[in-house]
Amino acid sequence: MLVLSGSCADSILDKDPISSFSAQGFYKSTSDAQAGVYGIYNAMQSTFRGNFAYWGEGRADAVETNHAGDPFALRQNTLTPIITSANWNNLYTVISRANYAIKYIPEVFEDETSALRNQLIGQSRALRAIAYFYLVRVWGDVPFTLEPYESVQQDLFLPKTDKEAILDQIVDDLLYASEFCSSSYGGERDRVLITRGGADGILTQVYMWRKQYGDAIIAAERVLDNPLYSLVSISNWNNMFSAGLSSESIFEVGYNEVQTNLMRVLYALGSDADYFPSQRFMDSFEDGDLRRPKIWDNTQVQPRKIWKFFGEGFNDESADPSANNIVLVRLADILLLKAEAHARLGQNQEALTLLNSIRSRAGLSGLDEEAATQGYGDVTAAIMHERSIELCYEGHRWFDLVRTDKAIEVMQPINGLSDPRNILWPIHEDAINRNPNLVQNEFYR
Amino acid sequence: MRNIKQLIFLFSLVLIWLVPAAIHAQGVSRTVTGQVKDEVTGEPLPGVSVSLLSTNRSVATDGQGRFSIQVTGDSPVLVFSFLGYKKLSVDITTQDELEVKLSAEAFDLSEVEVVVGYGTQKKRNLTGSVVSVGSEEIEKTTLQDPISILQGRAAGVQVTSNSGAPGGEMTIRVRGNSSLNSGNNPLFVVDGIPIESNSLSSLNGTENFGLNPLADINPGDIASIEILKDAASTAIYGSRAANGVVMITTKRGAEGKAQVSFNATTGVSALTRKLSVLNASQYREVILDSYRNMTNPEEPYWTVLDSLNPMNNGDVDWQSELMRTASQHKLDLAIRGGTKNTKYAWSSSYLDQDGVILNSNYKRVTSRLNVDFDVNDKLTIGQSVSFTNATNNRINAGGSGNLSVIRELLIRPPIMSMYLPDGSLNGYSLGRRNPVGIALYATHLNKSNRIIGSEYLEYQFIEGLTFRSNLNFDFTAMKEDEFMPSILDYREGYNTGAVRSTNNLTWGNENFLRFNRVFNGDHNLGALVGFSFQNWKYERTGLNGMYFPSDNIRTLNAASVISNKDANGVDINVASEHAMLSYFGRVSYDYQGKYLAEVNLRADGSSRFGRDKRFGYFPSASVGWRFSQEGFLNDLKALNDAKLRFSVGKTGNEAIGDYTSQGEFIVGTNYLDYSGASPSVMPNAGLTWETTTQYNAGLDVALLANRLTLNADVYLKDTRNLLYNVPIPTTTGFGAITQNIGRIENRGIEVLLSSKNLVGPFGWSTNFNISANRNKVKSLPQELLTNGYIQNGSYHILQEGLPIGVFYGWRFDGVYARDEDNVNGVTNGALGQVFKGGDPIWNDVNGDNIINQDDRQIIGYAQPKFFGGISNDFTYKNFSLNVFFQFSYGGDIYSEINAQRNAVVRYNNLSTDALRRWRQQGDVTDYPKPVRDDPMQTDSRVQSRWVEDASYIKLKNVNLRYSFSPNFIHRIGLRSLDAFVTATNLVTWTRYTGFDPDVNSYAGLRVGLDEGSYPQSRTVIFGLGFGL
Repeated sequence: MLVLSGSCADSILDKDPISSFSAQGFYKSTSDAQAGVYGIYNAMQSTFRGNFAYWGEGRADAVETNHAGDPFALRQNTLTPIITSANWNNLYTVISRANYAIKYIPEVFEDETSALRNQLIGQSRALRAIAYFYLVRVWGDVPFTLEPYESVQQDLFLPKTDKEAILDQIVDDLLYASEFCSSSYGGERDRVLITRGGADGILTQVYMWRKQYGDAIIAAERVLDNPLYSLVSISNWNNMFSAGLSSESIFEVGYNEVQTNLMRVLYALGSDADYFPSQRFMDSFEDGDLRRPKIWDNTQVQPRKIWKFFGEGFNDESADPSANNIVLVRLADILLLKAEAHARLGQNQEALTLLNSIRSRAGLSGLDEEAATQGYGDVTAAIMHERSIELCYEGHRWFDLVRTDKAIEVMQPINGLSDPRNILWPIHEDAINRNPNLVQNEFYR
Repeated sequence: MRNIKQLIFLFSLVLIWLVPAAIHAQGVSRTVTGQVKDEVTGEPLPGVSVSLLSTNRSVATDGQGRFSIQVTGDSPVLVFSFLGYKKLSVDITTQDELEVKLSAEAFDLSEVEVVVGYGTQKKRNLTGSVVSVGSEEIEKTTLQDPISILQGRAAGVQVTSNSGAPGGEMTIRVRGNSSLNSGNNPLFVVDGIPIESNSLSSLNGTENFGLNPLADINPGDIASIEILKDAASTAIYGSRAANGVVMITTKRGAEGKAQVSFNATTGVSALTRKLSVLNASQYREVILDSYRNMTNPEEPYWTVLDSLNPMNNGDVDWQSELMRTASQHKLDLAIRGGTKNTKYAWSSSYLDQDGVILNSNYKRVTSRLNVDFDVNDKLTIGQSVSFTNATNNRINAGGSGNLSVIRELLIRPPIMSMYLPDGSLNGYSLGRRNPVGIALYATHLNKSNRIIGSEYLEYQFIEGLTFRSNLNFDFTAMKEDEFMPSILDYREGYNTGAVRSTNNLTWGNENFLRFNRVFNGDHNLGALVGFSFQNWKYERTGLNGMYFPSDNIRTLNAASVISNKDANGVDINVASEHAMLSYFGRVSYDYQGKYLAEVNLRADGSSRFGRDKRFGYFPSASVGWRFSQEGFLNDLKALNDAKLRFSVGKTGNEAIGDYTSQGEFIVGTNYLDYSGASPSVMPNAGLTWETTTQYNAGLDVALLANRLTLNADVYLKDTRNLLYNVPIPTTTGFGAITQNIGRIENRGIEVLLSSKNLVGPFGWSTNFNISANRNKVKSLPQELLTNGYIQNGSYHILQEGLPIGVFYGWRFDGVYARDEDNVNGVTNGALGQVFKGGDPIWNDVNGDNIINQDDRQIIGYAQPKFFGGISNDFTYKNFSLNVFFQFSYGGDIYSEINAQRNAVVRYNNLSTDALRRWRQQGDVTDYPKPVRDDPMQTDSRVQSRWVEDASYIKLKNVNLRYSFSPNFIHRIGLRSLDAFVTATNLVTWTRYTGFDPDVNSYAGLRVGLDEGSYPQSRTVIFGLGFGL
């Protein structure tokens, strides 16, 4: 019985995890590499399940709310460090999982030129870029790391990094993804995974944020030339969101019955959703716009539901959790961004052609330069207005206002937003408490 | 490993089941007479039971202590027994008349044995600190689990209730909290077997607490509970002993005729108190006020004010609807006895206990067999096996979600109707589930089967040298079912169900040699050396489902959507394993019982730590000096015994996750149907034991013919390398990492005083114990202290120099009577609004006229200054009475439930305190105005309004027993017959305004928080017991 001593002791005490891997036990095979990348998408699901609307719409002019908590605080511009949308944890989970994948995928493949290796790294880098893109847009300068955390010896308490440096990395990552991701994986995966087109689409958004219009046009052209993408007909307009996986979709975060999101809570939970359309938004349509009856519940004088994501006439008080995919990039967005880039470079003809392709689908007549100027002030303004209608509630409006420096102009009459420093979100109190090197954003100190 | 398997095989072959042989010799009959007297006072003792050994025959002494009994057989022996006196056997082969002197039982301390690690020891020779609760104490209660019995009865042991639900979890702390993680539970050892003492329940609904695994042990089976407190006593259990060791010893058989005992109890329990709530019209007024007080007053669009709305036309007293007078019944049957070679103890019990909340119920069946068999002069084998089957119908009582019945019965608006006009239950209205509906129609059922067993072999090589080997196992199979029917949801057809099946097995093998010998009559030498192996394996299987076509079919086959993840996306199906290999030894020596010394050493290796950090070494040493035996004290006749004790030693704590140091990648973080994996635990290969060094000094004194005894201890526990799940910036991708950090100190004093105030026909004895523990966080790593402290949950902070359990928030200094009273224009945050009449006055710590995070301060301390109990026993003739008070002084409670009961934001119903709310300029009151959207954070702050004094004295237990006289019971053919009544939680004196100050919503470090746990009940139980 005394054999229990000595070397045998060590083997008795070696207990590897049973229903999971040890940190050293994962990333041993190509299927591990693939699973590691899907794990990043899994974090994307948690990240965007409600926040795509809080970050992208909650502070803008198209929504109204009755709900306490984040909806109210964002709408009234009374942001505090304890609101849910001030919490960035999920974005950094995406980044952490991506950093693990980017570090360890190369160890699994012997061949550096393996297409699978490179497209997996490409997807990981693109997802990391998306997370950082939201971080810099919502909070400005933020902690920045490209390394996975594997030891307490690493610097756990990162200070902020300048947002321009982060944006440079975002562009690098997306350029890599644009080069190495597959152009198609087949089936639904062309929409719910990052393809080459997906990387180009996000890259277009990033360039527009950085006001690099020439680069944006080049990236957008790659999207427009991509045979995967075409505009859907107006009759299928709602289906892009309710059914998902449309030909117009470039990248959408996938959900299903058990991996659900808050779409209904946000927009159409019976008569008591977070958001309903603002009067200002409802009044901003041109006559004859075929989209108008598809966007909100027009059976009510004071609409309490947004139909856009569920379908015209949607009136379901039943228990369906939201399994809708959340579309982050679609062709109409890229078309309009390209149009805007042209307009800002003074190339109004190119801009109007693109703008009119969206207008005509909506049953509206094409605009020429004169009509655009008459109706909206200039071509750029006409395009921005078109974006506010076409892409409403998809999480673009606030960022459009911010990047075009219109946030204060538009929101001041509505909720008193006046200080440019107030445009950023506060950093959540919890993040501040955990990190002595992290300084609260100036306006919220 | 191979040897262990062989050993298992060997033990499997050993299964002993022997029926006692009762042999009686019959012979000529004669009469023996005599008188029984008290040895000290010489007074005659009436009512003493006089029985003839090996027969059923017994009589009692009369008023003059005289008796007369018919005697038959060869070598007859009379046994004299009397409550409170030592049992005496007298051989009467040659006597027909005799005078017998009985000595009071507890008076003789020299032979009392207590259970210590791997053996027993005479209590008088202890050099460590051990407190003991015997079966006589246990029998005075009608409590159903061993932990609650310890409450107030053992010095240095603090027991708080997480839940008053039947079978609910308790928190037990021996000499304070010494760990920062939740591993503050003592080690539980039953008949030498370290058992699982953590709740295995994984479906707790919204509750924070689980079930009490010690409730699987029937108190009726327990012979004694010993709590080992200092390092000298606990170090033999090394790595798991830093929080003390609770040794439970069950009753075993003794040589002699089979003794049958039967006990039946039945009783009722009810809520100890109801809390005040507003009625419907009072409630509507507050809601109206709360809208009027808004920054931009608006008309309530909510239908709450519409008393004609069928959902909101109620005036319901939810406490009355949900609380009931509950009944409980218990049966206990035991047969214990033995022959020269075989001793057996068999017992079985059945408990059926209703909780005071509608529909909650706990049923438990226990069965036990302890057998010892002498194979020959050298070899003894035996086993102790217990089986418990428990069914707990839980009802989502505690916790903070809107599934919680306790919260809802206090804060649910009274206007919400119980039924709709069509007679159906108003199951869900305006964001709230009907708590009556939850209690009646939701399923939250826990069923478990547990076997705890050990089989042993003991071989005596020579006199004083024995080898013992044990094989132990503790296996629990638990199944849990949960179902939330669609009638309790706003979504048509939306129902959810869940099932969990948990298997938990811990098994171990211990082998040791024990040596005891007296040299030259004066030198007592003892030694122990051995090794052990223990393995734990936990496996959980389960599914969640939703969209069952009917609320009536609740098995998962009916669910149309099934998931292997829980509602938070966490894997349901997990397995984990952990092993420990240990070597231990002990040497003890004493000279004439006057000078005593002992050293212990244990080495533990745990699979939880990194390869290089696996083994920990835990030594201890202790000395004792019985100075009462010194010559200079010989003349002091009043002093019977006096001893000084000192000990020092190290113990450990390994209470972390099985794979924490390795880090973890979990599978199942899928994306749509594509399998994903992701890192979930950041590795830390440098993790090692948390170590506690403990110093103890004690004094044991017995005075006045042993009628007065005192045991006093002072201790210092210094815990370092604390295993703590340190919160780290989430920018790392992880929320926390377990590290060895910081240092905590506990120091305290414990006094136990026992006194025989009166002896003789009217007996009165008193046991009093009091403990004070001071706990202090000595150091924390600097990088964690962003604001000089660690925020621990919403209400607590951890800070150097402060104890664990400090509440941190804003101090409430009253209410502005009018707008002008805010002379400094104090604002809510730098850019916020100015506080006006009716708003709270917050203490502005830094005097900047801005109330923000910087104005938070310490607003309370959860840990009591001292706690204890006092027990008085009275005996007169056939009556005995036990009156037991339990107390705790000086701790605070953060009453989160009171915060809820006074928060208007969520349309909560309020306490009647709200009737004195501020209504208009000039009102002088301490209750702020209710404001619908809470713009000044009146409700949402952690604040001193909800900190209350948790001091209390409880008349915890009163037990009145009538033991029928032997003359009478002999006539009806019984050995004994007792009738008793026990009342529990009879009266509580406290200033706390919640249900009960004995409450703790979290088992971990967030002590003193009342989030609305299942309230404790007042219970009265009648019982009848007889022996054959």
